[in-house]
Amino acid sequence: MDDHQLAGTLDAGPLAAKTPVLDTVTTEVAAVSGIEVDAPLPAVRLQGVTKRFPGGRNHDPVVAVDDLDLDIRDGEFFSLLGPSGCGKTTTLRMIAGFEYPSAGSLQIFGQEVGLEPPNKRPVNTVFQSYALFPHMTVAKNIAFGLEMQQLPVDEIDRRVAEVIELVQLQGREGRRPKQLSGGQQQRVALARALVNHPKVLLLDEPLGALDLKLRQAMQLELKRIQEQVGITFVYVTHDQEEALTMSDRIAVMDGGRLLQVGDPEEIYDRPRTRFVADFIGDTNLLIAEVLDADTARLYDGTVVRVPTGAPAGSTVTLAVRPEKLGLWHADAERDLRLDALTGTIRRVTFLGNAINYEVVAGERAPVELVVRQGNTPGIEHFADGERVRVRWLPGSVAVLED
Amino acid sequence: MAATVDPPRTQTPTPASAPDEPGLERAAEQAESRRGFLIGLPSLLYLVVLFALPLVIVVVYSFATRSRTGRTILADWNLSSYARLFDPLVLEIGLRSLWLALLTTVISLVVGYPFAYYLATRSPRVRGVLLVLVMIPFWSNFLIRTYAWRVILGRDGPFVRFLEPILGTEGQLLFTPFAVVVGLVYGYLPFMILPLYATLERLDFSLVEAARDLHATGWQAFWRVTWPLSRPGVVAGSILVFIPSFGAYVTPEILGGGRTTMIGSYVVRQFLSARDWPFGSALSVAILAVMLVAAVVYFRTRDREA
Repeated sequence: MDDHQLAGTLDAGPLAAKTPVLDTVTTEVAAVSGIEVDAPLPAVRLQGVTKRFPGGRNHDPVVAVDDLDLDIRDGEFFSLLGPSGCGKTTTLRMIAGFEYPSAGSLQIFGQEVGLEPPNKRPVNTVFQSYALFPHMTVAKNIAFGLEMQQLPVDEIDRRVAEVIELVQLQGREGRRPKQLSGGQQQRVALARALVNHPKVLLLDEPLGALDLKLRQAMQLELKRIQEQVGITFVYVTHDQEEALTMSDRIAVMDGGRLLQVGDPEEIYDRPRTRFVADFIGDTNLLIAEVLDADTARLYDGTVVRVPTGAPAGSTVTLAVRPEKLGLWHADAERDLRLDALTGTIRRVTFLGNAINYEVVAGERAPVELVVRQGNTPGIEHFADGERVRVRWLPGSVAVLED
Repeated sequence: MAATVDPPRTQTPTPASAPDEPGLERAAEQAESRRGFLIGLPSLLYLVVLFALPLVIVVVYSFATRSRTGRTILADWNLSSYARLFDPLVLEIGLRSLWLALLTTVISLVVGYPFAYYLATRSPRVRGVLLVLVMIPFWSNFLIRTYAWRVILGRDGPFVRFLEPILGTEGQLLFTPFAVVVGLVYGYLPFMILPLYATLERLDFSLVEAARDLHATGWQAFWRVTWPLSRPGVVAGSILVFIPSFGAYVTPEILGGGRTTMIGSYVVRQFLSARDWPFGSALSVAILAVMLVAAVVYFRTRDREA
């Protein structure tokens, strides 16, 4: 790929993706990563996909997506999650065909599509702004894709009616997009894409323009529809809560790179990097010194049971979620199954469904922790300045790679 | 400017912070509308004195009579000037003007649309440069530019020489309808490009992406999405080219050489050489009527799209 390093060779990139040389590399990569030959075909497979845009500072190309390897399984609800500018939308646009990769291989169900125009790909997109055709009725908008594929009129009518029922837009067929509410427009956009029975449905932050209540309702609705139609959904979002709620698996991206792929629990409970731990949910980051294979020591001297796999004496960063921590009086009986740290409450924040306590332990190198206690009946409330013991199950601490 | 006095809105419930006295509110509103009228007054006077009044004079003259010596007698009001509009010669000139204006409009659209599209899809900096290039010709005199075409299309010009195998040695381009249309397209093309550009620049290109995503080819996406959504610009540009082309005087005079008479030249002839002011006025009113129809078409299309 050295020949793509120069600015202005963007055109050469996608061409290279089709050469047999790269195909050989592809097979080798598959062999090395131990992918079984008879494993089900992934819905989308990205291998070494890179996208450079011309004209950054000093006219250097801007790398939007950097050497991405990713398999999206058939039938799953897959989310690309990351802050704006992380490359998630560019990745989606490459799958859709609005951008051509500068390098790498892009396959949809085993078919190399990196250079195919959008109309020749078995995917459809729900756009962030919906992109509904303002000069057509709802029914015409939905029928557009089928008309372009020159399906018989009666089949178009049948499928349009079917999908209108699926998204519950009965009675709105004759309306113009402008006459619909945001949520209804959202449904039309979804129906317009789904009616084509795409192999993969791409969704680019489709709920971003809706208010909170409607967004939550649409999240459930989208999930219901996805389960009903069984199509692979690739969902781009910067909203971690949305990704956790809806996805079967999540890919967290930053700076054009893939940081971690996993199911929501994995991503949330076992973040691999500081960025993932920080971006998703609230987290306590603790610096610790490795004692042996299974224990490490925090700055305040607390010994934590955590299998780091790092050599003794090295420092590691640990991540633990505020709600995984329990709060007890400092003189409470020790439970040897739990790790514990003794400190003082510095601030109490009432959140409604929970209470946040900021606890500081240690004098010279204080360790700060946020503990979240659910606001459940009978729970003990603590006050500012109280001495407390923070306890947690050893397994709830994740070791970060950076 | 709003010269009409707004009806007093004493019926509407006034918010708590507004003055309770209805008279005060009304006085304030009247003062505001008075100020609006004063601001608009200069333009209003200008338009009435220099535009509406002459128009009225033309309409009045069109019903007058021409004396034998060519004077206009403002008496014996009649419709004979209008009857002469249906004279075969006049009809021929009228239809030719209509045909050449339509041809000019269509050619301008075919030439201008791709350029406007290109313009609208460039980066802001390139757009700026190209827009200036479109407008630069306006900075020099229209008459001079039209005379330049006489040289270009003339007997020794590059076009005639290049086309000699087709036209033959006796062939000519100048003083033909072709030359007139070339001159008109040249003159009015910017009026086509600018409204088209304004429409296309506002077009949401994610709609085109959506069409491509929904299995439309590039052409299908254009005809089903881009073209219908750019129609307000197409209509505006077409009207702006059609109206001046239909009434054109300078271009057919210079490039048509009296052989391709258009209605504008014919009107001038009535006023200057034939000294038949009533008939010239009637012709002008007829042209005005055609343009009015075009303008109505434009506004109705625009309102429907909005």
